[in-house]
Amino acid sequence: MIIAKNELPGLLDKLAAEYELFAPVKEGNYALFKQIKSGAEACFEYLNSKVPPKGVLFPQSEKLFSYQTTGEGTKMEEHIDSRKKLVFGIRPCDAKSLVLLDNVFNNDKYTDPYYMTRRENTLLVGMGCNDPASTCFCTSVGSGPFDSAGLDLLLTDTGDAYLVEAISEKGKALAAQMGLKAAAEDQKAAAAKAQEAARVNCRVNVEGLKARLDANFYDAIWERFHEKCLGCAACTYSCPTCHCFDIVDEAVDCDGCRVRNWDSCMFPLFTLHGSGHNPRTSGKERMRQRVMHKFKYFVDNFSAMACVGCGRCIKNCPVNLDIREIIADIQGEGRSDK
Amino acid sequence: MLRMQIATAIQEAARKLLAEKKVDLVLGFAKGSLPLRSTPFFARTPEDAGKLTWDYSCENNLANYLRKREGKVAVVAKGCDVRAIVALAHENQINRENLYIIGVPCAGMVDRVKVDQAVEGKDILEVEDKGDTLVIKGKGFAKEVKLDDLCHDTCKTCRYGNPVVYDLLVGEPVPAKSEDNFDDVAAFEALSPADRRAALAAEFSKCIRCYACRNACPMCYCSECFVDCSAPVWINKAPDVDDNIMFQAVRVFHSAGRCADCGACDRACPMGINLRGMTRKMVKEVKELFGYEAGASTEEKPALAVFKADDPQPFLVKE
Amino acid sequence: MQKNPYLPLPVKLVKNFTETEDKLIHTFTFQYLSQEDEKSFPYMPGQFAELCVFGKGEAPFGIASSPTEPGFLKFSVAKVGVVSTALHLMEEGTICGVRGPLGNYYPVDQLKGKNVVIIGGGFAFTTLRSLITYMLEPKHRGDFGKITCIYGARNPGLLLYKEELDDWDKRDDINLVCTIDRPVDGWNKRVGFVPAVTKEVAPSSENSVAIICGPPVMIKFTMPELEALGFRPEQIIMSLENRMKCGIGMCGRCNVGNKYVCKDGPVFTKAELNLLPNEY
Repeated sequence: MIIAKNELPGLLDKLAAEYELFAPVKEGNYALFKQIKSGAEACFEYLNSKVPPKGVLFPQSEKLFSYQTTGEGTKMEEHIDSRKKLVFGIRPCDAKSLVLLDNVFNNDKYTDPYYMTRRENTLLVGMGCNDPASTCFCTSVGSGPFDSAGLDLLLTDTGDAYLVEAISEKGKALAAQMGLKAAAEDQKAAAAKAQEAARVNCRVNVEGLKARLDANFYDAIWERFHEKCLGCAACTYSCPTCHCFDIVDEAVDCDGCRVRNWDSCMFPLFTLHGSGHNPRTSGKERMRQRVMHKFKYFVDNFSAMACVGCGRCIKNCPVNLDIREIIADIQGEGRSDK
Repeated sequence: MLRMQIATAIQEAARKLLAEKKVDLVLGFAKGSLPLRSTPFFARTPEDAGKLTWDYSCENNLANYLRKREGKVAVVAKGCDVRAIVALAHENQINRENLYIIGVPCAGMVDRVKVDQAVEGKDILEVEDKGDTLVIKGKGFAKEVKLDDLCHDTCKTCRYGNPVVYDLLVGEPVPAKSEDNFDDVAAFEALSPADRRAALAAEFSKCIRCYACRNACPMCYCSECFVDCSAPVWINKAPDVDDNIMFQAVRVFHSAGRCADCGACDRACPMGINLRGMTRKMVKEVKELFGYEAGASTEEKPALAVFKADDPQPFLVKE
Repeated sequence: MQKNPYLPLPVKLVKNFTETEDKLIHTFTFQYLSQEDEKSFPYMPGQFAELCVFGKGEAPFGIASSPTEPGFLKFSVAKVGVVSTALHLMEEGTICGVRGPLGNYYPVDQLKGKNVVIIGGGFAFTTLRSLITYMLEPKHRGDFGKITCIYGARNPGLLLYKEELDDWDKRDDINLVCTIDRPVDGWNKRVGFVPAVTKEVAPSSENSVAIICGPPVMIKFTMPELEALGFRPEQIIMSLENRMKCGIGMCGRCNVGNKYVCKDGPVFTKAELNLLPNEY
């Protein structure tokens, strides 16, 4: 199927009427996924958003439930969001990250109704990457510029139009609902050419990485990595697969709500016990935890790395701490450009 | 002195210090993993020293890594970094005797936000250094920009490009500038309170409370930051605009009279928030009330740590 | 979809008891608001719950009561932060919430037919009270062989559950050995650190399982004594503590290696822990 670029704003207008529609919006020098009311607000001239669109399913702050306590008991009201949503223009890496997060929020024992309800009610229309950025390494970690994992529809930019492929049943239904025309042969050829030409030039060698991480927990190699790290949350809050959160009450006396906020394993207080004991006392333990979680523990539990190679942590780090260099060091490959 | 020559001189100095075991560590910069980036580097052997570099991308304030350090350390420090070192020494966070300062006079570092603006957010693959200009290249573009135009606004208003104290000076002193008249703060001051609130709200709606600003600042080192205090909860953790403003405002107040105006916070922010709007206002207030600038003098005690009988106290006097 | 795992079950505080002489630990007894509520909270010794103080927050505590004690839940709480302080000051009759039961439990099925050696230190005795009460229940007692319990605290005032300890002391189907660190007037029982007392009591490792719960330093020195007595890692069971929030393995905070203490624990055998990094 095909969408001509000049038809897109009108199409988005129609979608905005039926769904909570999220699309990339220009914000200064960068793009952010925001809810739009009209197609004109969206801008698809972007590499990727500054922070990932996972906030649509897992907001940085959300009310879990509110409560009111009296002498007799407590009234509680859940706040589960079941409104229909559509994320238009999500990159394949970010869609893959949601597939990975599904493992977390629907684990072997429990289901998180907040994330899962949104997940079930959200359609993902992906935009393939004709021109992956130099910091992208999706192909090294099991994704790719036209990977369809997690997507309902996948768009390929052919220059003056977008070729539309239906990936899931929901995607087929959505395409039918949008009344998309069939693509012409030359349009299909243009899309195939674009997909063929897309190059992810940055390669990160992760072969055997897990085996090394299985064995090097107590090694001296961890002494160095964290030294320049500021211990802020720039990397974790930019990461599409990070899922750590805190639960707090915001209340006046006994009227209030229980709120969930993103948290970061890079903060010292993250693992501080009430007794004062902290199993991760310094940046060294916390950096090791981050790398181990992404490239070993997640693999142990779900047979997949918790990294989609989006490169945001690399670009957003204030001290240019680069996960690719850490991986190369662990792999014994040193830093070739230094 | 050309940037290459400064880099070589830093390498030489570091190599010597480490080989002669005068210091255990030389804290400087190495080439970053991205174009137009340098990264803090911890050199511990004479071989490591060869990796030290110097150019217009050495933006981090390395004084941030010097607090309560054991052993003898050398640091490569710009004028603003040295101000932070002096301020920290006043607060007993740095032992001047165990610190060897390799001072580098600095005319300014590049603002990564301005670079992004110049290329409209496109992916930068390579940068060609042509001395006064940079040619920023990517797929299908090559933009030549004057280094001056990319200079961070903090550097433009900086009057302390020459380190006020050092053990070794590398490079030619930068020319003195006229007195700082805080023109950049005037526009904000001209706004009504309602407009100020709106301007701040627009900036801080972008804040994701990652605390990169706080953690990049050499002067922010409280063992428990007020945002982490649970009894009482001063502000909530969620990125609510009002709380975001409150966080930054309190941080700026906590740094009053201590802020070296280095812009590390502004540069660290991944969302490109104009943090110096607040910090510069505070720097101006302190200068006007107390005639004091943090870290400018090793002798002068910090203004807010000293009480003088003639300290301005307009809030105590009923007009 | 199953019930929302973040919603607490309201319960009523019926007793706020100062457990220790230094007043730093209180034991809280909560009553369910209905029979239905009680049925929705089936728990086993070793599990924990997120105890919720409306308006202040939630915190995880081991369940000290046993499922053989119907109608109520007991928790012992040290005053260390916002939630625990609010609990300590709480008036009886206040409505709180419990979320759970969470975590796994002491493998009572695997303990059947075995001798059980229980070693506890100080404040960590909470879930051990649950376990002992469960095992001593007439319908369960026959399942287990000899039960030995070594429980040490700094001084007599800091021992938890003094009433229960008195009861157990008088029984002949459990060998209770209480000990304190240093001699104190009025204490005519054993004196000595838990590791030393373990060595003295020398429980046999034959057909036995040891369950140990206590502060890191006690575990560090007691473990070698158990090993010297012949207890293999599969025969040693521990209950870990960690900072927890969600209790359901999603907030990422309490992991030790690739296991979440809240969901995959808190009960682990030493053999299982040996496979995990020493980061707890």
